[in-house]
Amino acid sequence: MKPKFFTLQDLNCKAGKFQLKDISFSLEARQYLVILGPTGCGKTVLLETLAGLRRPTGGKILLDSMDITHLPPEARRFGFAYQDSLLFPFLNVRDNILFAARAARLHTDPSVRKRAGDLAEAMGISHLLNRFPRFLSGGEKQRVSLARAFLMKPPLLLLDEPLSSLDPQTRSSIRELLQNLHNKEESGIIHVTHDFNEALQLGTHLIVMDDGRILQEGKTEDVFFQPASMALANFLMWENLLQGRIERREGRSYFKEKHGPILIGPIDRRNLPNQNSAEVTLLIRAGHLSLSPVVDCTGNMNMNSWYGFIERINCLSTHMEVVCKGEGNYRAVLSNNEWKGLNLQKGSRVKISVDVDDIHLIPN
Amino acid sequence: MPSMALKRNNGAAARDNSRSLLFGCFWLLFIFLVLFMVFLIGGLLSYADWETVRIVLLQKEFHFAMVFTLWTSVLATGLAALFAIPSAYVLSRYKIPGKAFVDTLVDIPIVMPPLVSGIALLILLGPILGDFLTRFGLEVVFSQRGVVVAQWFIATPYAVKIIKQAFDAIDPRMENIGRTLGFSPGKVFVKVTLPLAKNGIISGLIMTWTRTIGEFGATAMLAGITRMKTETLSVAIFLNMSMGDLKFAISTAIVMLLIALVALITLKLFLGKEVRI
Repeated sequence: MKPKFFTLQDLNCKAGKFQLKDISFSLEARQYLVILGPTGCGKTVLLETLAGLRRPTGGKILLDSMDITHLPPEARRFGFAYQDSLLFPFLNVRDNILFAARAARLHTDPSVRKRAGDLAEAMGISHLLNRFPRFLSGGEKQRVSLARAFLMKPPLLLLDEPLSSLDPQTRSSIRELLQNLHNKEESGIIHVTHDFNEALQLGTHLIVMDDGRILQEGKTEDVFFQPASMALANFLMWENLLQGRIERREGRSYFKEKHGPILIGPIDRRNLPNQNSAEVTLLIRAGHLSLSPVVDCTGNMNMNSWYGFIERINCLSTHMEVVCKGEGNYRAVLSNNEWKGLNLQKGSRVKISVDVDDIHLIPN
Repeated sequence: MPSMALKRNNGAAARDNSRSLLFGCFWLLFIFLVLFMVFLIGGLLSYADWETVRIVLLQKEFHFAMVFTLWTSVLATGLAALFAIPSAYVLSRYKIPGKAFVDTLVDIPIVMPPLVSGIALLILLGPILGDFLTRFGLEVVFSQRGVVVAQWFIATPYAVKIIKQAFDAIDPRMENIGRTLGFSPGKVFVKVTLPLAKNGIISGLIMTWTRTIGEFGATAMLAGITRMKTETLSVAIFLNMSMGDLKFAISTAIVMLLIALVALITLKLFLGKEVRI
């Protein structure tokens, strides 16, 4: 097991009326942790507290088992990048990148200057070194900001929504850049965002926060596909929620929809509530529903599938989103090729199916 | 419903007309103000006898007033900077109980008539602190030192106000970045905050300087009006006007006007849009 090189124990911090409440988590060396949460949930306050820019009202911060709770930011030397890059307008790109080296009086050191050059090369900004920030685009500024934060090889890099103010193309290229840097550099990364795609693509681990507390933490896929509460499922925008109960039939467990005919199972392997007939919410991601055309839907319904008709089709850039109406509304996502192969249109009758391995249950 | 549509159109047309009238008035008032300034300066310049101006410029009294005004105003501006930069930073960055009251106290010289400021200074630095200051050889009342103190007192609040605006405009997260990159709070102030506020500070100090050059009321009360001793350019104008030497007074006024114009034009050319005065 890898050692936990960064640990938070019951961290509390007040920022005006807002408060971080008992935040605890650990980070392994070189881990990429994404903290996901809605605007105003305390992500930035948490990052600033980790950086030493805010004084915690309780709890501990440990780096390599050393208590750094009351260490000032300049002693922690964590890299920090805000979403709006915040380059120093009175310095050119080279001097912005070398700013941390200036603090350590190493800005004339050839090895540091070489590292600055290498980082600029890796970031694709080596041709901009003599330019001033006002002549840079948003993406270029963010690259410089990241290079500046990475220069002195900080043990931990704190990124506050670094992609959110960029256009989609630039966002995608900086996302790749962050992945490359994470692979090459020694630093652990804590990246806060409200964007699910960023969390899924970048994070090895994920923490979801709301109202100053942690809702759930774990491996990114686990948190995304096995939310522990309805609050989290709603925040993660699970598309299909079915109310029902667990029924035992012939020694096996099944999900039975409350006001409809849907029956899904057997789901013995799932982590079910203990009591029989427990009220549950069944969650299915849109991408896990499959559709097939039907001509006659008068026959008996199969297990794990039900009928509906297509009410709305949303053509998105990479896929199709199809809203089907049955007893309720069901949202499915298909690739463009899948959709073409089905030869369906608005109003078509469809069979909606789900693989029992792709469902998730939350006790009510 | 054509009649409704017509009413709506008429209403929109009426609104457009009233808007045009409003902005037309804005333009008229603006043009009046600009023309007034042009005539004011033009009137003063046209009234001058340039041969007399040349003669006045060569006079010993003018030289004294000019040099005296320059060094006292530069010294007063330096002292204003010494107090204004830290005060503006404190007002901009810290939560102070009763901040509105403290802010008002700092602003007092702006709202108080200069003569009243002069009397207040005279009482503080005369009857109250005079003996104490004399013991250290620092007499202020009716001395050249009094000129510097009066100029400093009148001009410092302007510097505080303009420099505070410059500090307010800085995103505190810039300073945060400086801290995370390894600088202590003091070094962040020098390496990040001051360079970011540079233009505001320079414009604040130029405005302070022009204010000190023109200071008269408080100077007259605290330092007195003594020819060739506490005679600034403003005092020189007053002295010569009161003795009926209008030509000397007008020549000096023109020189002061030119200094103010050059200072303001320099300010606007060098600092461009960032000037907030």
